[in-house]
Amino acid sequence: MLLLSSSGAIAKAKQFSLSNGMQVVVIENNRAPVIAQMIWYNFGSNVEQKGKSGLAHFMEHLMFKGTKKHPDSYYSNFISKVGGSENAFTSYDYTAYYQIYPSEHFEKIIELEADRMKNLTLTKKNVETEKNVILEERFQRIESDPSSLLDESMRSILYPNHPYGRPIIGWKHEIEGLNYDDVKSFYKKHYEPRNAILVISGNINLNKAKEIVKKNFSKIKNVGTSKFKETLDPNLNSQVFVEKKHPTVKQDIWKKLYRTDSYNKSIKRGIALDLGMKIIAGGTSSLLYDEFVNKKKIFSMVGGFYQGLSRGAGYIYFYAIPNEKIEAKKIDKLIMDQIKILVENELSSEKLETEKKKYLYDSIYRMDGILKPSEIYGEALTVGLKLSDIENWNKNLDDVTLELVKEEMLEFIENKNYVIGSLQN
Amino acid sequence: MKVSIYILSILLLLFNEAKSIDFSELKTKNTSFWFVKDNSIPIISLSFSLRGGSSQDPDGKEGLTYLMTSTMDEGTNKYSGTQLREFKKLNGIKLNISTQKNKIEGSFQVISSQVEQGFELLDQVLNFPKFNKSDLEKVLKQIEASLKIDQSDLSTLSNNKFNDIYFKKNNFSKRIKGTKKSLNNITKDDLIKHHKNSFNTKELYIGVSGDISEKSIKKYIEKVFGKFSVENMSPSFEKFTDLPRGQKVIQLETPQSSVVFGHPGLSRSDKDYFSLRLANYILGGGGFQSRLYKQIREKRGLVYSIYSYPISYKHDGFIMGGFQTRNKSVFETVNRVKEEWAKISKRGITKKELDAAKAYYKGSFTRNFTSTVSIANLLNIVQFYDLGKNYFSERDKIIENLKLNDINNIIKNKFNSDNLFFLIVGSPEKQR
Repeated sequence: MLLLSSSGAIAKAKQFSLSNGMQVVVIENNRAPVIAQMIWYNFGSNVEQKGKSGLAHFMEHLMFKGTKKHPDSYYSNFISKVGGSENAFTSYDYTAYYQIYPSEHFEKIIELEADRMKNLTLTKKNVETEKNVILEERFQRIESDPSSLLDESMRSILYPNHPYGRPIIGWKHEIEGLNYDDVKSFYKKHYEPRNAILVISGNINLNKAKEIVKKNFSKIKNVGTSKFKETLDPNLNSQVFVEKKHPTVKQDIWKKLYRTDSYNKSIKRGIALDLGMKIIAGGTSSLLYDEFVNKKKIFSMVGGFYQGLSRGAGYIYFYAIPNEKIEAKKIDKLIMDQIKILVENELSSEKLETEKKKYLYDSIYRMDGILKPSEIYGEALTVGLKLSDIENWNKNLDDVTLELVKEEMLEFIENKNYVIGSLQN
Repeated sequence: MKVSIYILSILLLLFNEAKSIDFSELKTKNTSFWFVKDNSIPIISLSFSLRGGSSQDPDGKEGLTYLMTSTMDEGTNKYSGTQLREFKKLNGIKLNISTQKNKIEGSFQVISSQVEQGFELLDQVLNFPKFNKSDLEKVLKQIEASLKIDQSDLSTLSNNKFNDIYFKKNNFSKRIKGTKKSLNNITKDDLIKHHKNSFNTKELYIGVSGDISEKSIKKYIEKVFGKFSVENMSPSFEKFTDLPRGQKVIQLETPQSSVVFGHPGLSRSDKDYFSLRLANYILGGGGFQSRLYKQIREKRGLVYSIYSYPISYKHDGFIMGGFQTRNKSVFETVNRVKEEWAKISKRGITKKELDAAKAYYKGSFTRNFTSTVSIANLLNIVQFYDLGKNYFSERDKIIENLKLNDINNIIKNKFNSDNLFFLIVGSPEKQR
């Protein structure tokens, strides 16, 4: 997932910070006169108070509503007029805003981004209209999609205590209850320079970046009181099996979600787990795919992956699409029995070397383009990793041994913090 | 003297703004391709297209092209599917062959140190696919599952239904993936024959960008594409006639309805193409800027997303749009779209809107130059649509020269709210 190779015309990332605590990363790349700019805030739905789910995402929508100096959609209009594109996203651990634009407009766009960190002018009407948009978004993404409804239930079981168990977009009844005051206080409390990481990639040099960013951002003061503390989840003491039946579902899908350690616990172990998962279950060249899709023809698709880039727990996700109707518990047994066999007999240093090679190649591909590097640095830094962690990623990759991969995979097999989901007609 | 100084300053201006790319047109025995050398990153990206696509599938065998492109990398005369997948991993090769309505499109990338292996694999997959029975069975199962998943997905379902109804007898009504029934009519021989017919040089377009010399890339293009036949299966494309108007509701129990709408458009070669595209940008394109977005989402909160965009093929085109909204607000939203359509047709656009749209289209083009993949794609597309070798330097001028009066006349002639067709899938509530 992570890791970048720097090469040729693309420089290594450089970092500096402002006196108010804001961090800045610059990745110079002069292939085209274009900049990809991202501002990452190190909070997402994880900082919402209980009963206020959806607030972080709501706030993300409202960040486009204008300031006193640049009212209404001045910012978006400006981006469009120069041929740029923009968007934003909210996750559990972070909220990010990005723009891709011709580099000559750097100064102006930095000014606009700095302005909206503290100076939004929201009205009650803005908030109420946008609430309807968000409800439509929830209906479009979740309520109309049985598979998403199932995922939502599975997460709420897997994380009974942590905010990861709540949907980012929010529960419907809680979105309906959010109001102007909630939004205002959330904004004031969390949108702070000390919570922000600005990543600038493309046609920009470090000195220019320093000058302009300092000029616009260093005067912003931290006034909020946000303090984040990770909540822990208990071990699941009983196995939960979730079933979602819906008349529009025409194809059964089986899913399994595990709670596990993140890269924050150990990068090396995370990489080992990731490599093991890739060999066993990653894509169409995996051992599991070969067994069940190519040979036994039981599933038309099967796979899984590890996602460890998170402040709290990471997760492992598995899915299978059966060719014929098979009971979900039976699918689970088929897959788990097979994984045990594969981990014991098929994990070899040859397979590990191939996977490591692919890992390195992927890191080169990620440098083709200017948005991807910003995404990688931004995401890694906001979940708590350091720039040096990203730079030393290769070394950790080299150090991963077959024994460590096996160890991680055996631990995964023993992991009881999971929930099984079944989507059916 | 004066003249030459003038020319020089224009050249400098163009160069300074870096809005153009320098490519070379290279020729091999039976084809030619466009190439941009770029050694800032050790990657080679290649993009190719073959005119044809799923619209050319024989009646009763819809899905033939899609099945073919999905099975080509499942086994060749030298390698099994498993070996091919392993080979890709070992050498950092990415290959994707996809089927669209009007073309087959291929995207290929390799790490430059593995270039020999990369083109060996590309050669095998494009020229020597086996279509083994067991591989076919597997892929068919996968397509069948994806057809069922498509049916369960409101947005895909409504797009497919729109496609069936909107194009009626035109061969564009053929679904890319076909149906379970039509797929079962396809034999191994059909695939072998179709492969031979489709992979020819007659309407083949190739763009390459990356870390390789002209001499080497020529050699590899020759090795792979030199084996294509020169005969053409002559794809046939008919203009869209009798496009439906009005609306149709397909009942489905769901909390939100999905609406897809269509309107006649223009072909990519039409002289008014850019006028239409800019007009649509103002009406329903353009991210957070369009009138539809502002009126329907920003002001009234009726939808999360709403858009319209022109789809322009070589032979004809149409404008397509869509949104999802809760059942109670379906007809209100449909009416708002009609209103905006009628309004732009009657009153046109303003100078300010036009200037903003022009600035957007000129400024956004450079984004295509930020990766080897996007450059290769662009080189392919410019050839496919026959936009000309000087398109990269001409494009800005074409846009700059659009006049407000002319565009407004085109809008008046082209946009007509009576020509809209809305397909509604869901349980929309009647308006009070």
